[in-house]
Amino acid sequence: MARTLFIGLDGVTFTLLDELVRELPGEGVAMPFVAKLMREGFHAPLRSTAHPLTPPAWVSLITGRNPGHHGIFDFVRSEDRITDFYWTLSDRLDIRVESLWSIASRQGKRVVSLNFPMMSPPEPVNGCLVSGFVSWKHLRRNMTPDGLYDRIKAIPGFSAKELAWDFQRESQIGEEMTQAELEAWVDHHRPREEQWFRVAETLLAEDKPDLFAVMFDGTDKLQHQVWHVLDPRLIKNGMTDAEKRLRERVLGYYRRLDEYIARLAELAGPDARVFIASDHGFTASTEVVRINRYLGELGYLAWAENDGSATAKRREDANFAFLDWTKTLAFCPTPSSNGIVIRVANEPGHPGVPPEQYEAFRAKLIEDLLALRGPDGGQVITGVMKREDVFPGAAMHAAPDLTVTLRDHGFVSVRNRAPVVESRRIIAGTHHPDGIFIGYGPGVSNDHSRKLMNIVDVTPTLLYSLGLPVPQDFEGRVRDQMFTDEMFDENPVLFGPPTLPVTNARGAASSGVSEAERAKILEQLRALGYLEN
Amino acid sequence: MMQAQEEISDTYNSSSTLASVIATIESIVQDWDLDQPVDASTRLVADLGFESIDLIQMAAALEQEFGRPNFSFADLLIVDGRYVDDLTVGQIAEALDARI
Repeated sequence: MARTLFIGLDGVTFTLLDELVRELPGEGVAMPFVAKLMREGFHAPLRSTAHPLTPPAWVSLITGRNPGHHGIFDFVRSEDRITDFYWTLSDRLDIRVESLWSIASRQGKRVVSLNFPMMSPPEPVNGCLVSGFVSWKHLRRNMTPDGLYDRIKAIPGFSAKELAWDFQRESQIGEEMTQAELEAWVDHHRPREEQWFRVAETLLAEDKPDLFAVMFDGTDKLQHQVWHVLDPRLIKNGMTDAEKRLRERVLGYYRRLDEYIARLAELAGPDARVFIASDHGFTASTEVVRINRYLGELGYLAWAENDGSATAKRREDANFAFLDWTKTLAFCPTPSSNGIVIRVANEPGHPGVPPEQYEAFRAKLIEDLLALRGPDGGQVITGVMKREDVFPGAAMHAAPDLTVTLRDHGFVSVRNRAPVVESRRIIAGTHHPDGIFIGYGPGVSNDHSRKLMNIVDVTPTLLYSLGLPVPQDFEGRVRDQMFTDEMFDENPVLFGPPTLPVTNARGAASSGVSEAERAKILEQLRALGYLEN
Repeated sequence: MMQAQEEISDTYNSSSTLASVIATIESIVQDWDLDQPVDASTRLVADLGFESIDLIQMAAALEQEFGRPNFSFADLLIVDGRYVDDLTVGQIAEALDARI
C-alpha cells in the first residue's frame, strides 16, 4: 500500500479555505498547493465532536472513537474534593482506547507522529513520536524513542523554545489585543510552524515511514485572534488600513504553510496518498456569555470569597471556576468545556443534589439554561446536550452532565462579572463544528459533493490507506465516495479484531480488562497475524 | 520548614523511593541549565523554579515510574483545603512511600 501522509491543520474551515485556494483581487492564491489537492482530489466537511474542542476532537480523530469512549473532554480534568476542586491537565494517560499510532505500529507499519495533543507522556511506537502542546522544558521526555531529542536538536536552526508550546503566551487567546499585539501574535507563530516543518522534513526524508503525520496548530491560534480580517462575511464591507496590514501578515502565514505541505508531499513521493484534516471549523463569536454568573444569579452556585490574598487573586483570574464548593450545586468548570457539572451528594453531609433528585434537578437546569436571553431578547443558549446522548461509552461519567451550545458557537466565560451577556467590542474567532477533510493520491476520487463526514471516519480512512483492517469497535467508516471504484475493487475494506484495551490509562479499571486478559488478546492477535512478533 | 526538610532528609537518604524520585526530577530538569544538585531537601519551586505545568509533568512522570496510575497528587498539593506553596523532593518520596 502507498505511503500515507497525514497533515493536521487545527481549526481550518472551508469558510476560510475556499478563499485561500482561489484567486483574490490583489492577493492572488494564498494556498495553491492545497488548491491543487482539492481540485484533483477529494474534499468534504468534517463534523467534529459534540463539543468541538481541540483535545477531545484530535483524540477522536486519531482513535476513531467518540469522547465517551476515549475519555478526553477538555484540556483539564478535575477531582471533586468536597470542599475544593483539584485541576490538572489532561494527558495521554487519560485516554482509554488505542491510538492510530499503536494500531499501525503493532501491525508492523513504521510511524512518525508530530505535535498531536494529548500524546504526553508518549507511548512507544514503531518509529518516532513527539507530543504536542508541551513546554520546551519537557520536550526531551515527551518524545520517543530515546535519543530522538538529540537527533532533532542537531537539525540546523533548531530551537526548543520556538518549537514548543508557550503556556503563558497561549493563555492570551481570547483576550482583546491592540493592533501591535495582534501583529506580534502572528509573528510569534510563524517561527514555531517553521520549527515543526523542519523536524517533519528531516524525519520524513530520513525515516521514510509508512504513516507520516504532523499537526500544525498555528492556524487555530491565529484564527482566534484575527478572524475579523479573515472571515469573508466580515470583510466584505471593507477593512481599515491597519486591518489590511494585519490580513496581509496572516496571509503570509498561510502561504508559507502551503509551501510546507507541498514540500512534505514532494518528499513523500508521487505514489503517496496525502490526507489533510482539521479537528473543527471556525466562525465568528460576537458576544461574551458569563455562564457561572447566570448560574449564580439563579442560585445554583456560590462564589468563593476573595480574601485579598495573592492565591485568591490568582485563582479568581484563572480560567477555572472559583467557587464556594460547600454551597455549589451546578457550575461550569472551565471556559473551554462549555460544560455544566452537577454535583451529586453521594454521602450525607456532602454538598450536591440528592441522587434521587438528580433527574428533576437536571430538567429544571436545562429549562433555565434555555431561558437565558441576550440584550436583544434572543435565545442565547441554543442547545443543551445530556452526556448520555452525546458521549455514550465507558468514559461517559467523566464528561460534564450537560454541554451547552451558544447561538454564536462561542465559548463561555466562568468569571464573576456583569452583565451575563455582553457584545464583544471586537469580533473573535471561535470553533465551529464543521472542519475539513481533503484526500489526494492513488485511488482517491475527485468527488466534490461535499457530503458531511464525521471526525471518527478519519482513523479508518488512514488505516485503509495503509492496507490495514478497520477495527470492529471503530465508530466511523471509510466513506464510499472518497475512493474510486477501482480502488475498492482491488482493495476491499477489511474489518479486523477490535482495538487493544489500554491498561495503563487512569480510567482503565472501568474497562474491566486485566493484564492477563490483555496478554491473551495479544496472543490471539499474534496468531491471527494482526500483531508483529 | 527547614527542620522538616532535615527530618525528611534523614529518614529517606537510603530509600530507593527517594533515589527514584531524585532520578525522575533530574531527568525533568536536565535541559534547564540549572547548577542545583537535587537531593531530599531540594524545594521544587524555590530551588528548581517549578511552575504549575512542571508539577503536572512531574506527577505524570512519577505515575509512570511507580506504576501507580491512580495516585492522586491532589493529596500532596492540597493541605487543609489550600494549595501548598512548595514541596521538597523528600516530601514527595515520603508520600509515595506511604502509598506503596
